[in-house]
Amino acid sequence: MLKINNLHCKVEAQDGAEKFILNGISLEVPAGEVHAIMGPNGSGKSTLSYAVTGRDGYEVTEGSIVFNGEEIGEMAPEERASRGLYLSFQYPVEIPGVPTLIFLKEALNAQRTARGEAEITAPEFMKLAREKAKQLSISMDMLKRPVNVGFSGGEKKRLEILQALILEPKFLILDETDSGLDIDALKVVADGVNTLRAPDRGMLVITHYQRLLDYIKPDVVHILAAGRIVKSGGPELAHELEAEGYDKYIGEAA
Amino acid sequence: MGVIKPIAAETALIDTLDGATGWLAQLREATRMQGLPTRRHEMWKWSDLRRAASEITSAGKITLTGAASDALEPADGETVELGVSASAGASAAALSLVVKSGRSVTLVERYSCDAGSLGNFHLDITIEDGARLERICIQDEAERGVLIASSSIELAVNAKLTQIALSFGGKLMRHETHVAHAGEHSEANLHGVYLLDEGRHNDYTTSVHHTGPGGITRQLVKGAVAAHARGVFQGKFKVDRAAQLTDAKMTHRALMLDERAEIDAKPELEIYADNVQCAHGNAIGTLDETALFYMRQRGIPLVQARALLIESYLAEPLDFVTDEALRDELRARLQQRLRAIS
Repeated sequence: MLKINNLHCKVEAQDGAEKFILNGISLEVPAGEVHAIMGPNGSGKSTLSYAVTGRDGYEVTEGSIVFNGEEIGEMAPEERASRGLYLSFQYPVEIPGVPTLIFLKEALNAQRTARGEAEITAPEFMKLAREKAKQLSISMDMLKRPVNVGFSGGEKKRLEILQALILEPKFLILDETDSGLDIDALKVVADGVNTLRAPDRGMLVITHYQRLLDYIKPDVVHILAAGRIVKSGGPELAHELEAEGYDKYIGEAA
Repeated sequence: MGVIKPIAAETALIDTLDGATGWLAQLREATRMQGLPTRRHEMWKWSDLRRAASEITSAGKITLTGAASDALEPADGETVELGVSASAGASAAALSLVVKSGRSVTLVERYSCDAGSLGNFHLDITIEDGARLERICIQDEAERGVLIASSSIELAVNAKLTQIALSFGGKLMRHETHVAHAGEHSEANLHGVYLLDEGRHNDYTTSVHHTGPGGITRQLVKGAVAAHARGVFQGKFKVDRAAQLTDAKMTHRALMLDERAEIDAKPELEIYADNVQCAHGNAIGTLDETALFYMRQRGIPLVQARALLIESYLAEPLDFVTDEALRDELRARLQQRLRAIS
């Protein structure tokens, strides 16, 4: 479903300097599977999520990103989104002045239009939003407020998952979805993610800690260090990391 | 001071105002003695009117609609719809409006001008004791024209003025307001929004002179400026020694939509009283790239994401419009304009 081959990516820093963050990542996530990416700070986890979703300033210099058989490495972020790629942000962005419901409806209809589907009507959309919000214990009042403005860390993460439930992407990348969450919020978010697991949907769960993987059980765990996958294995790899730390992998990559 | 050698636009303006009285006579005399203002005039340093009028050679005409006479005295609860339209050439017109004691009036001014125009329009407004005026100024169609809309407003005690100006600029557009603020439970609100496409120029200049104690002034002006366009904001609060306990706050925030945009801002406080609360804030920024990416990642195309972000940035001052239909109209005009320029 998502096939990343020998991906190199350089990032333009604010001072204009360029830095290679990804140094030849190869990774394949078939439909129906959940893969976890674990790695120490600075290993390139967030860069990978931005490179795959097409953020400006994250330039792919070598390699390919193939999604459902189509090379997407040169596409605009919105084109990748309408093909079904969804990123749950580590730090969801506040957008003052844009009510969440309006934002979501615009997003859904933009994706539908791009796919040549009919737009959803306002009543249909409200019904959908109400139903999915209930699932995540999000009030409709909260959705009338501007996107993420004044939301707690937990509310922001829940809203990320709500957006996924409404947009129904084919593939999700969850970037440090557990950061800033207490255990109760983590369970709500993980439940939401687990309802999205489906035979025709893939997921890449990026995390620093093994904790999240107790709730979202991965099929495969990859360890990322210095911009490369240094080891892949089953869920037991996450436990091994939790016990032993990343030190030996940092050594191996260097 | 010696009389300057007039350019064609000045001669045309002086000729067309022959025999004028009141403000128009003052305009004629000022033009005759000093010419049109240039960058050398402190109040016009970013809006060179003489230069903008350099290609104008003939007299034009200002057409006013909605004004039964040149001295208006609206009834309580009345909405006055004023249309001000300047044809090509140099022209000027003036009106006075009095909101009688205790009355509440809405004034909607719609400005337009043709290419090659130099229109001057002046309003003398008096808001009497306990009266309220809500003033909405819409400057929409001004393709390549020059238009100066000025007003002098006397705000009596216990009175309230709320002004919201929406402008899309022109070859040179200037909206100038001077308020004499008596204090004593009176309140002046001078808000504005400007959105300027390539090559356009807009100047929002206001001054509020607090002469009596305890007056309130609020100002929120927001702008967005594209490449090769220029937004000017000049705001001044002057607080006399007698105007103790004045509470005045000025905020101007603007977005540079391109590196080649220009925004000139001069917030100014001149305070002679020692027990007042006066503040000004001025911030110039660019569109939030992270928010743009976030929106695009959700599937919203770049152009639409930019428009949505700019709209949400600019819309706040429009929320001060009381009438819902008018508020919706202003919002719709802003959206239309955003669609047209993106």
